[in-house]
Amino acid sequence: MSDAEQPTDSHIPGTEEFEPVDVFPEANEMDLRPGADNCYKCSTCDTNCPVAEVDDDFPGPKFQGPEQWRLKRQDDYDIDESVMKCSNCLRCDSACPSSVPLSQMHNTARAEYVEKHMSKYSREYWRNRMLANYRRLAPLGAMFPRTANFMTSLPFTGFLGEKILGIAGDRDFPTFATETFRKWWTKRGGAKVSNPDKRVAYFHGCYSNFNTPEVAKALVRVYEHFGYEIMVPEQSCSGTPMFANGMLDDARRAAETNVPELAAAIDDGADIIASCSSCSMSLRQEYPELFDIEDIERVSANTWDAIEYLRVHEDLEGALEGATVGEEFDDFAYHAPCHARNQGLDGQTVELLGLVDDVDAYDVGDSCSGISGTYGWKAENYETSMKIGEEMFEHMEHAPADTGLTECPTCSMQMGHGTGYEIRHTLEVLEAALVGSETGDA
Amino acid sequence: MTRDTEVLVLGGGSTGCGIARDLAMRGVDVTLVERGNLTGGTTGRMHGLLHSGGRYAVSDQASATECIEENKILRDIAGHCVEMTGGLFVQRPEDSDEYFQEKLEGCRECGIPAEVLSARESREVEPYLATDIKRSIKVPDGAIDPFRLCVANAIDAQNHGARIETHAKVIDLLRDGDDIYGVKVKHDSGPGKRTHNTAGSTEEITAEYVVNATGAWAGQIGAMADLDVEVRPSKGVMTIMNVRQVDTVVNRCRPKGDADIIVPHETTAILGTTDEEVEDPDDYPEEQWEVDHMIDTLKELVPILEEARTIRSFWGVRPLYEPPGTGTTDPTDITRDFFLLDHDDRDGVDGMASIVGGKFTTYRAMAEDITDHVCEKLGVDARCVTAEEPLPGSEDMSILNEGMDNFGLRSPVARRSKQRLGSRAQDVLDTNECNPVICQCEGVTRAEIRDAIDQSGSDLNAVRIRTRASMGNCQGGFCCHNMANELSHEYDEETVRAALDELFQERWKGERHALWGEQLSQAMLNYALHATTMNRDNDPANGSKAVDFGAFDGGRVKARTDGGE
Repeated sequence: MSDAEQPTDSHIPGTEEFEPVDVFPEANEMDLRPGADNCYKCSTCDTNCPVAEVDDDFPGPKFQGPEQWRLKRQDDYDIDESVMKCSNCLRCDSACPSSVPLSQMHNTARAEYVEKHMSKYSREYWRNRMLANYRRLAPLGAMFPRTANFMTSLPFTGFLGEKILGIAGDRDFPTFATETFRKWWTKRGGAKVSNPDKRVAYFHGCYSNFNTPEVAKALVRVYEHFGYEIMVPEQSCSGTPMFANGMLDDARRAAETNVPELAAAIDDGADIIASCSSCSMSLRQEYPELFDIEDIERVSANTWDAIEYLRVHEDLEGALEGATVGEEFDDFAYHAPCHARNQGLDGQTVELLGLVDDVDAYDVGDSCSGISGTYGWKAENYETSMKIGEEMFEHMEHAPADTGLTECPTCSMQMGHGTGYEIRHTLEVLEAALVGSETGDA
Repeated sequence: MTRDTEVLVLGGGSTGCGIARDLAMRGVDVTLVERGNLTGGTTGRMHGLLHSGGRYAVSDQASATECIEENKILRDIAGHCVEMTGGLFVQRPEDSDEYFQEKLEGCRECGIPAEVLSARESREVEPYLATDIKRSIKVPDGAIDPFRLCVANAIDAQNHGARIETHAKVIDLLRDGDDIYGVKVKHDSGPGKRTHNTAGSTEEITAEYVVNATGAWAGQIGAMADLDVEVRPSKGVMTIMNVRQVDTVVNRCRPKGDADIIVPHETTAILGTTDEEVEDPDDYPEEQWEVDHMIDTLKELVPILEEARTIRSFWGVRPLYEPPGTGTTDPTDITRDFFLLDHDDRDGVDGMASIVGGKFTTYRAMAEDITDHVCEKLGVDARCVTAEEPLPGSEDMSILNEGMDNFGLRSPVARRSKQRLGSRAQDVLDTNECNPVICQCEGVTRAEIRDAIDQSGSDLNAVRIRTRASMGNCQGGFCCHNMANELSHEYDEETVRAALDELFQERWKGERHALWGEQLSQAMLNYALHATTMNRDNDPANGSKAVDFGAFDGGRVKARTDGGE
């Protein structure tokens, strides 16, 4: 249409730029009803839902998603409270044969529920807000790691946590590292390899920065071994715990930091890699589904799981063939996190470790660990969480291995909690096989 | 000579039920007979639009004025059947400015509140409108559930002493010389509430006066007494979308044409319609191109309709009428006004009047006029109160707002149930018994199904129109059998099976016209579920050999010990 034919619009100028369908002012105001068109009620999502399996009161993803959305009118806000029982494992997404945007529907409905129905003065809200914003609390722990670890290890801390905040008292708080990954990285002087043709930007997330810097360090050494220049951009939480708690405003704020930083790295020729399967899941899938931020699609399209990236871009299999890990590691009981499964990555670890001579990984089956991030930390979900995890615990105990292995921080907490095993990250094993461990700060 | 009833109303659509209610409320003894279910003719086959009158504001201002008056009345007396969505008359760049102006002025002349919205404002109201629309006129159109409204009228008539007989087909008019004094009906079962496989009977019902409110079928009734009623049935197709693409009624702002309206209706949106004269209101072609044409035209207004899922299509037959000799050739030009044909004045045959033409939104006003006429004939002097007295379910709509509990139901299910039941919600949903959701698509619980069964016997289509169960996206694939199961407490196996088959077939009838994309997947899954899982295509119990149901045991009694609680 030419300008001459532009409709006369006496009220508001600039109609040509107005696009209400794509520009969502808030993610929790999205109209996802058309997504219900894809559902033909087969219930495959319900049969794959780990929460529905152990909790008869949970109506399951089909109700939470397409049914609830279809029953909604533009101005209806009465989301059922059961959406807070969804653990956000995203298994329904992979299970659906018809591409119903289930997790997007759940995330949006949950945000709406928290926004409209949860009292901002309730214990539940503040507990969830705290859990979701682990990124905000962790720096305190990291500043005085020994004190924090001592405090959280005291039995009455757990008791008070349960009584005051509703955090499961039986859980052990994760210990803080004495030095964060970012501190180590600065002290080290940043990247040791400079290579304009092979650059990656590392999204380390919160946990490998504050709690398990050994995983992040392993990633650095493995990638430098393959000649990559590593960038560590400024970053905030990936948003996963916030989605799961319906705190989309918090998640959006974090995304508004992450997306421009990561997009700038892409402009510098880097691809984005993550060592945590939930971080990569969030950047790849949830970001473009929930937010409309400039470059978000580009960030999504250029984000990889750190191990997947090497399998595609390097001859990782060749490098591991016949390699050894030495004394440090024995065989592993391996659990593929749901969020790795959703990215189609559930087979790669067992396959890769099969190539290494002196170590094997035994898959403990395709059940969910049950913790699902902050979910299993809530006192009211603790029992459900442990019931879901039962199958995994049992399989771990039957596997001929005494150490656990996974790529998800909270799965590893659950694995350790249920079995008492030490739990490691696959990147640490790759580091031992490719670079050798105990390489100091190099 | 004593008659069985004072007035006999033929036809259980909106007109017939409206007349029955009005007569009963004026203290007249009335019987209504309907050959199928209530709404089974044209009423149950409309797009559910509560006209503001905007549609007729240029072409027929008398109708337009009447529409806005009745629109306001129905919001009061039938609040639980109405959703005030508002409506837009949307102008596309190729539509005439002159007509837009005429429409706007017409609305104002008829007392219809009308406001011009810019393209941007229109799209803020309805984000899925096409990006190149020019502007729109906002009017108080609404959505109305014709099933609920019609049933509520019938219930209220019964509450005032009327006898309502469904599945009672008129097979003859009783005429003695120049006097019509009743009809002969054939009951499918009974008389009384329908029970499948129960022998029906024929019955002569005599009356002081007969009102032929059979709409498109009025000609057939008239012919039984050698009376000519020149009704010109005209078919129109409507297509039901799986979800609401719009929450406002969207009309195309142009003089006339097919496929120019989208009505948000409950969980769905209904696209309408076409206008083509047919010979026989019971037998006319239903063609796929009519559906395609409608989606193709309406996607100019709302482009996502092209990709969106349709769950079924249906055709309705308008009871158009024009006085002999008018000679209009195009059915879209025939007036939508209604006509009361007094056969005494017209044909010299006493005791009967026929009502033809008219439209759903003004059903109450039509009923009032006709009731006035009948009362005059009978010498009854009573005032019409149907514009003031709320229908059952709409008595006190304020209780539906804050404060009413959810009866232990999940919130969207509770909200939908309360919207359907109106002020009856407490009576129906407040139960100590386990109350599971039977129809997941529409959120209908067992308590609501049982309430409908109490009203209508073993007829599951009657349950369907009262509750919306089986009207969602699976079109009954996942719930027909569960609905039938609710009959099994009262009815035997054979009855339940017949009721189930009848409902499932009725669902399939409309779904046939939506077999592509997701609805095709749905139909395949429904087929697999019913033919394979339930073995309904080869069920031994369906054959001639009796199955010894007593030989089945009660199933495994061992409690679950595998973790489930």
